[in-house]
Amino acid sequence: MILSAEGLVKTFPGVRALDGATLRLAAGSVHALLGENGAGKSTLIKILTGVYRPDGGRVLMGGAEVHLAGPLDAQKAGIGVVHQERNLIPEFSVAENIVLHHLPRRFGLVDRPRMKAEARRCLDLLDLDLDPDMPVAGLSVAQAQLVEIAKALSVDSKVLLLDEPTASLTGDEADRLYGIVGKLRDNGHAVVLVSHKLEEVFAVADTVTVLRDGHTVADAEPLAGYTQDQVVDLMVGRAYASVRLPERRVDPETPAALRLREVSTARGHRDVSLSVRPGEILGLYGLVGAGRSELAKALLGLDRITSGTVEVHGRPVRIRDVGEALRRHRIGYVTENRKEEGLFLDQPITRNIGVTVWRSLARAGLVTERAERRVVEEYADRLGIKASSPRQLAGQLSGGNQQKVSLAKWLAARCEILIVDEPTVGIDVRTKAAFHELIAELAGEGLALLLISSDLPEIVTLADRIAVMNDLAVRGELLNDHDYGRMSQAIIRLIHGDAR
Amino acid sequence: MSAGTMVETPAGGRIRRATRRPEFTLALLAVAGFAALAVATDGNLLSGGTLDAFFRYLAVPIVIGLSQMVVLAIGQMNLSVGALTGLCSMVAAWLMLQAGLPAPVAVLGALAVGLAAGLVNGLLVVVTRINGFIVTLATMTIIEGLRYGVNGPDTFQGYSQRLRDFGRASVLGLPVVFLAALAVAALVAVFFARTVAGRHLLATGGSPFAARLSGVSNDRSIVLAHGLSGLLAGAAAVITVAASGSVNSSIGDDLLLPSFAAPIIGGVALAGGVVSVAGTCLAAFLVRLVDVMQAQFGINPRWIDLIIGAVVLGAVLLGTVRQKLLRRSS
Repeated sequence: MILSAEGLVKTFPGVRALDGATLRLAAGSVHALLGENGAGKSTLIKILTGVYRPDGGRVLMGGAEVHLAGPLDAQKAGIGVVHQERNLIPEFSVAENIVLHHLPRRFGLVDRPRMKAEARRCLDLLDLDLDPDMPVAGLSVAQAQLVEIAKALSVDSKVLLLDEPTASLTGDEADRLYGIVGKLRDNGHAVVLVSHKLEEVFAVADTVTVLRDGHTVADAEPLAGYTQDQVVDLMVGRAYASVRLPERRVDPETPAALRLREVSTARGHRDVSLSVRPGEILGLYGLVGAGRSELAKALLGLDRITSGTVEVHGRPVRIRDVGEALRRHRIGYVTENRKEEGLFLDQPITRNIGVTVWRSLARAGLVTERAERRVVEEYADRLGIKASSPRQLAGQLSGGNQQKVSLAKWLAARCEILIVDEPTVGIDVRTKAAFHELIAELAGEGLALLLISSDLPEIVTLADRIAVMNDLAVRGELLNDHDYGRMSQAIIRLIHGDAR
Repeated sequence: MSAGTMVETPAGGRIRRATRRPEFTLALLAVAGFAALAVATDGNLLSGGTLDAFFRYLAVPIVIGLSQMVVLAIGQMNLSVGALTGLCSMVAAWLMLQAGLPAPVAVLGALAVGLAAGLVNGLLVVVTRINGFIVTLATMTIIEGLRYGVNGPDTFQGYSQRLRDFGRASVLGLPVVFLAALAVAALVAVFFARTVAGRHLLATGGSPFAARLSGVSNDRSIVLAHGLSGLLAGAAAVITVAASGSVNSSIGDDLLLPSFAAPIIGGVALAGGVVSVAGTCLAAFLVRLVDVMQAQFGINPRWIDLIIGAVVLGAVLLGTVRQKLLRRSS
């Protein structure tokens, strides 16, 4: 084994992301690392690249334990990584980007000829014919991806981690990339491939590790021994006991509160059609980057809708900004990014909840403290926000209470249509259950809810219908029967492009 | 989850919380500093003329500090406040002496020029998307040119006796201009605490992303903040014209540092979203104490600049440390 990570444990407040996970890699092999959202893949990769330090377990390279206290340590140990997002500096040349972390120097100045020669060597490893002097900004997505790989190889990596490398590539480009991956394997590298495209995984990988809930459920098994269905079974697991929420009934005759008809956006969404009725929860499931939050933001006028129609209570509308969405159409959006977009961290709870209602509370332009407190306290009580005083700063609250504040401002504004984006990310298990009850309760009171979530159990627990999104388009819609095993399989099949 | 989870802290807690506020520390410093200076000058500070001058020349620093504070509230800066105060002063004097208009019209004229220049600053920031620092650096230079253009190097004097009387009048032993500055401060405090527009300004400064996603128009906040800043610079000009008796094109040159010193020492966050009118007034008081100390003891003014500059830097560092501690405790 060139790399083995044993018994890795990593805990975040309220969440155990890894619970004794194992990863074992052989030199000269392509290894698939699979698992659903939240299974622990990202955490594992971040530990191997020195971003996180594990709470338990150890990492061995060639049989010797290594301590990865930072990305530089990982490089020195011979672990290279290509992240899903691009990490190149667009204004710099190809050569500068490739050797950025160890620029050759002469008399204290950058030795440009040596830099270029070094970059050339890395590009040759990949059979890449690129001008090292060209600025990265001029490269295609696929070329930039390959430059990233060259950059990872420039530090003499024995292990190369590729996180969703084909997410933004065309079929031909992906084939070319996998050709290069095969070449690296033949040269003795261990390549770890993280991808949700099972077809590709089965075409190129030799062995597989499957993570589920922070555990390793398939430990470096030969991939040849599995069918795609068996791998999906392993990823999902059958033992999930879903929380039973009280039954809700939505009359299928009820007209939709919000309906999208073949909506396309400047962001690249294509012909998205969705609808949600009052009292109903429509789950919008997809992987990170599928374009769900972006769709919500386009709905609120923060991005341009290029074609199609949006209807609110049956009437076509054009929404220009959040203020209009709120005041004219009673649409609210609870952001997934509560610290940056949902809260004013340095301001008291009252201001954080009051921001949506000041206008309606004002008499002659003035908002009295009493009027504001009345509204704020009503919803703080209703949601059970725990704080020492309404004047406590939002930044001092726990994650769960922050999320409640972020939600309360929309309830205070009497929204009828609420888009809730990843409501329980980074929230501990108990609070999460309380949140699920709350969301179901709000639907029971007649709110139309669009629930964006990457958390399969959450979607299957809460949603009445589930729309599955991938690559900026809706791949299909399912009626939720709350049977976790069946629903999760159906959802994953839709994402992986399997029409069965 | 039980209802009524947000309990109001009892009165004892309220007092303890009040003593922990930065304004409380500033108030203590102000009282202690004032007492110390009174003793050090053998009571000279408390003599009629000195005390009167102390408060009379506190009026402009308070208003100019507030003028900067409203822009800091949205997380921007206005470098043109000093130059604008100078321009508005010259315009007011010109309206009285050259155009022969009565003093009240000249006062309104100065305020209008301030407001207009501020609105232009704000619109430029919104339209060009260039940050406020650069935009106001440019407009500062333009305004300095205009200020000189009104009367060249010459001094305006001998304008409206009534306005100058107003500048010299006292009520209950305190100069009227100082009381006027406090009234302006009270209005600014109400604006931020109670009006929808004032709160939207703080929302924009606290987090433009969260503000936008809560239905607040950041563009409107930016234009309003700069407009208000200009209007306050106009008010500082009116006080200057009334209190000094003569104005020339150098008015406002020494106001830029004090405009930052008052809010920053007063606990206003440079990043925006948090303001303190009381803190700004108290800090202006402290800076004035340092000025008087210089005058009383004949210290070279350059040393005073050094002291105030160092205190501003220290206040910024302190603010950063406090922010870090706050983040850690959450």
